[in-house]
Amino acid sequence: MNAEGVEQALPVMAPARASRRRRAPPIWLQLPVLALLLVAALPLFYVVVRASQSGWHEAWALLWRPFVFGLLANTLKLMVLVTVGCALIGLALAWLVERSDLRGRRRWNVLLCLPFAIPAFVSGFTWISISPLFEGLGGTVLVMVLSKYPLIYLPVAATLRSLDPALEESARMLGYSRRQVFWRVTLPLLRPVLMATSLLVAVHMLVEFGAPSIMRYQTFTTAIYQQFELAFSNTNAAMLSALLLALCMLLLWGEFRLRGRGYARTGQGVARRAAPVRLGGWALPVQLLLVALVAVGCGTPLTMLGFWIYQGSSASFPLAALLEALWSSLSLGFGGALLSCLLALPVCLVVVRYHGRLAGLADRLPYLLHALPGLVIALSLVFFALGYVPALYQTTALLLVAYALLFMPMAQGPIRVALEKASPSLEEAARTLGHPPLSAFLRVTLPIIFPGIGAGFVLVFLDTMKELTATLVLGPTGLETLATAVWTHTANLEYAAAAPFAALLVLVSGLPVYLLTTRAYLRQSGA
Amino acid sequence: MTARLVAGMARLCGAGLLGLGLLASGVRAETVTLTLYNGQHEATGRAVAEAFQAKTGIKVLIRKGGGGQLANQIAEEGARSPADVIYTEEAPPLIKLASEGLLAKVDAGTLSQVDPNLSDSQGNWLGITSRVRVLAYNPKLVSEAELPQSVLDVAGPEWAGKIAFVPSSGEFLGQTAAVIRLNGREAAEEWLTGLKAFGATYTNNVIAMKAVENGEIGAALINSYYWMALKKEKGQLNSKLHYFADGDAGGLASVSGAAVVKASKHPKEAQQFLAFMISEEGQRAILSQSAEYPVNKAVPADPLLKPYDQLKPPALSAAEIGLAEDALDLQREVGLN
Repeated sequence: MNAEGVEQALPVMAPARASRRRRAPPIWLQLPVLALLLVAALPLFYVVVRASQSGWHEAWALLWRPFVFGLLANTLKLMVLVTVGCALIGLALAWLVERSDLRGRRRWNVLLCLPFAIPAFVSGFTWISISPLFEGLGGTVLVMVLSKYPLIYLPVAATLRSLDPALEESARMLGYSRRQVFWRVTLPLLRPVLMATSLLVAVHMLVEFGAPSIMRYQTFTTAIYQQFELAFSNTNAAMLSALLLALCMLLLWGEFRLRGRGYARTGQGVARRAAPVRLGGWALPVQLLLVALVAVGCGTPLTMLGFWIYQGSSASFPLAALLEALWSSLSLGFGGALLSCLLALPVCLVVVRYHGRLAGLADRLPYLLHALPGLVIALSLVFFALGYVPALYQTTALLLVAYALLFMPMAQGPIRVALEKASPSLEEAARTLGHPPLSAFLRVTLPIIFPGIGAGFVLVFLDTMKELTATLVLGPTGLETLATAVWTHTANLEYAAAAPFAALLVLVSGLPVYLLTTRAYLRQSGA
Repeated sequence: MTARLVAGMARLCGAGLLGLGLLASGVRAETVTLTLYNGQHEATGRAVAEAFQAKTGIKVLIRKGGGGQLANQIAEEGARSPADVIYTEEAPPLIKLASEGLLAKVDAGTLSQVDPNLSDSQGNWLGITSRVRVLAYNPKLVSEAELPQSVLDVAGPEWAGKIAFVPSSGEFLGQTAAVIRLNGREAAEEWLTGLKAFGATYTNNVIAMKAVENGEIGAALINSYYWMALKKEKGQLNSKLHYFADGDAGGLASVSGAAVVKASKHPKEAQQFLAFMISEEGQRAILSQSAEYPVNKAVPADPLLKPYDQLKPPALSAAEIGLAEDALDLQREVGLN
């Protein structure tokens, strides 16, 4: 989930768009896009169908009760606190790394992204295994801020780096103090990226399930999952989902309003680096603060993981179970990545090469998908599979569909960038030489964009392994992945039993995601 | 000529497919795999399934989840349910499925081996184990003199920050229903309101139990086997069990149960599984993971448990507690759910 956010929020320097065709896309491109749009709309249908089945009166009674108000308050509290926390930390770090004479900038740049390596629910479990004091709002905010701040830090730092320092220098020359320059010039310039990334974090908080559930903080997602236990009607879950969807859509709308508002430097080439601000006497305290941040944010979870593995190794080491879960995670990740790329390709083709309503919809699709909570996607897929395609129910195939919905936006980023660079005129040349359209695409464009597809594939593959919610609800009977194993064991406070699974998850999924993201980011920003 | 060749090929292919189909179904019939929807604790379900597998060679696939969640799922799956057997920690999910006609009758031979009070009177589901609710307490935080006679007494201000309960659990819902049946709706509402104001909510019983043991909270309303499980894990415990007065809702007895799903494609093996669950071997496998009272009297209960015949739980059967819908309504009114 982390890397996906960065891909989206990083200002991608797209080359001037090659001439878009005016024609409607061919049917073989339309179909997958329409199918995806349809599946993406399922959660909305699900909520409406459920409510009408139980009667609107009961549906309303389920919505309008004190428990729901409490959930709403809890969810909003978590969202606001984490978003503000991430924005403050992200902004401060970005300024320190990009605008001050901080020593070891490059090293910090890499270290500060380390939270990408640790799934939030894993670090959540390590924190409460230290003390139950970390349960509840305080602990959840702490864990979430420490794991999500890179989503703001990275894009803000990239923007700062690409800002023309001339603006700030002019302001200085015209008599602003350094402080005034920051508040009146730099900050307003950063506002669009800061707002966009903050919204991203806010959406993440609305749909986050693992960490709050492990840290015993009740939000909409955790309650939806729990409420199945008591009421023998799924309407309750559907109504809570409806509220959650409404909140997500509200944020999505906010993001649309903000998109495209940015400041663009005119002129060619890379921006010159601004003259760094001297930290002077602050240099040492700042270094210590950064050390503390990394030590608390990543040192604690990793140390605790090590501790529990050491503790648990006295008992029998569940090698067979570990290997089985690892195999499940790897194969599901592979399938999810394959399907995501297969779906992302036509969507990107339509967006990049065609005009019109479908292209517009396809362009917005990833943002819509992004705001759909995994749990609600899973519930609606269960509902529709049972009602209309029972053969799919409880199959790996259905789980892969959920993965594709969740992770397609991640595959879309790199594929889209690659497609924008692959000029359609090459394909057109092949066609004048007698190749039919599909063959021209396969033999000319596909080889050019292959690295982009590969990058998207790897990102989805690695991130799918961390998926928890859809896997729990949709997985075939008897399925155990690394993520679900961690979740099941921590639900019963079996920390030592959870630790090897969690460590393996960090190793095969978290670390590679971290390495890839930081590398991609460093390359993109030319640092 | 060509047409005949094509037709011949088609027929050949058809025959081949048919043969393959027969072969596949033949293979499937030889190796029956039962699907168990396990709403009982994971280890308990696994233990009995493994014992069954070892004895009969019939493979058992387990789907994990809460009892209510899995019952919901079967209701939603209807005739297409892949489940053969459902095993739940509490009776209400089974009562719900029975009321919707989604369960097959348990074999009379199996049913007759269990005390009729512990199973469904219509024979839709089978009682597997029974247990009572208790108060687990930590003597460092709650002295013996403070221990209440009735569960209604733990909802007052003197218990502020000392009493843990799990409003999202079926066990607590059953207990709420018992309070309504025994003490009336008004008393139940007052009790829930008090618990909400002064008690601490936990998301599951294991966690509540460990919180009492670790001295994070004084006492918790739970089933006795949570304490026993911790005792087995740690040997020596700080916390102790307190049984409420005879006939009080605090000591409500409840059963775990199992049933054959009507949609089961292997009803014979599913019935065999149920019979195994109450056999001596099956009961021992279950008790090895969860210290409850066995329905098969040939198997002794854990000696650490208060003997079954000394218990005086309120005279409320699973049918009288029912689906506890009124209890859920009340919990929702109070804002607990």
